[in-house]
Amino acid sequence: MNNELSRLHRLGEVMTQHGTQMALALALLIIGLLVARWIDKLLRAGLHRLMPKSPYVTIFCNIMYIMLVAAVIVAAAVEFGAKPINMLRLLTITTLVIIGLLIFLRPFFPSLPFKVGNTVKAGDLLGKVESITFLNTRMRTFDGKTFFVPNRQILNEIVINYHYTQTRRVKLNVNIRYDQDLLKAKRTLEAIMTEDPRVKTKPGPVVYVLNLSSNCVELGGRCWVGNKQYWVARCDLHEKTKLRFDNEGIRFAFPQLDLHLNTDPSRTGGSGCPVPGTLTKLSTRQPEDEENV
Amino acid sequence: MKIADGLKIIENGWIRKPKGFRVRFHKQTETGIEAGLSPPPGTAPLDSDITAWRYAWKLWKATQTESETGTPGALYNITVVDDQDHPFRFYGTGEFKTYNPKNIHGGDGQTTGEVHT
Repeated sequence: MNNELSRLHRLGEVMTQHGTQMALALALLIIGLLVARWIDKLLRAGLHRLMPKSPYVTIFCNIMYIMLVAAVIVAAAVEFGAKPINMLRLLTITTLVIIGLLIFLRPFFPSLPFKVGNTVKAGDLLGKVESITFLNTRMRTFDGKTFFVPNRQILNEIVINYHYTQTRRVKLNVNIRYDQDLLKAKRTLEAIMTEDPRVKTKPGPVVYVLNLSSNCVELGGRCWVGNKQYWVARCDLHEKTKLRFDNEGIRFAFPQLDLHLNTDPSRTGGSGCPVPGTLTKLSTRQPEDEENV
Repeated sequence: MKIADGLKIIENGWIRKPKGFRVRFHKQTETGIEAGLSPPPGTAPLDSDITAWRYAWKLWKATQTESETGTPGALYNITVVDDQDHPFRFYGTGEFKTYNPKNIHGGDGQTTGEVHT
């Protein structure tokens, strides 16, 4: 009981001697942190307005915020009674330790294979990286949704970073009917790709006969375009292919299944109804044959 | 002849690859009719003829009222040209095309609509 009383007595003495300093230091800390937060917000808004696409804005603002918070803590500690020279030493040592750790241990940290501003595909998610924190990555997909993806999940996924590739290959797969002029179709498809200004000359566009399948000849056009032009160029080339083939009279193939009824009475049992096993013949044919049936 | 030389001949002589596209038109102003290009010379051209033709068509549709009344702002002879200012064939038909054709020099008969020349 006496111990507790003496402890309370000592606390009272401490509060009498240092209470004002403590209250001032606490007030300085709270107000300082609030002001630091306010300055950080203003700085971020201003810099994002000035340089909306710069990835360095976030890094710069983060550094500024850390420095402001450190200054506030030091000021509060000095107000509480700490010697400024000691605080300066502590701050210097802490900074040097952090920098040293970052430099020497950086190769051992798992790092993400992209930077802010890159267009990446991580798992099923395709979008632009807006920001990266220690815990998650903020991605904006092309349909306007914002995703916060945990970094550990990204590190487990296969990531495609479209930022590193300058060019991309466009695939133009076209199926034509067997009765169409194959050489004309090849020439037309190659001409469509060659005359487009976005299509690279090296490597130049090529057309392959990919397959002779059951109901069509499969043609494959391949050409290279700039990464940023990929999507629009791909859509344009498909549109031109459809229209040019129509103009040139080259008909596209489409999958179909024809049913031929065997009307021979000896095989249908005289009823006209086909006997199972002998009655039908399934085959694929082109639509204009229908007129001859 | 090496393959590389042959490929160069093909590249230069087979199909000309335009470097870009612009929409050429005649514009009715307060003082008369002026020829113009969009995007204007000195700026980057459009890299897609599909985009250029779509742009030309929208320009024609957007100025149809002015064209009918002949008020300033009307656009005539709207067509797509390549980087050498040669008319470029419409990709949909493979033929040359002009929206809202008008004989500017002859000064006769204004017609509205599309024409294939």
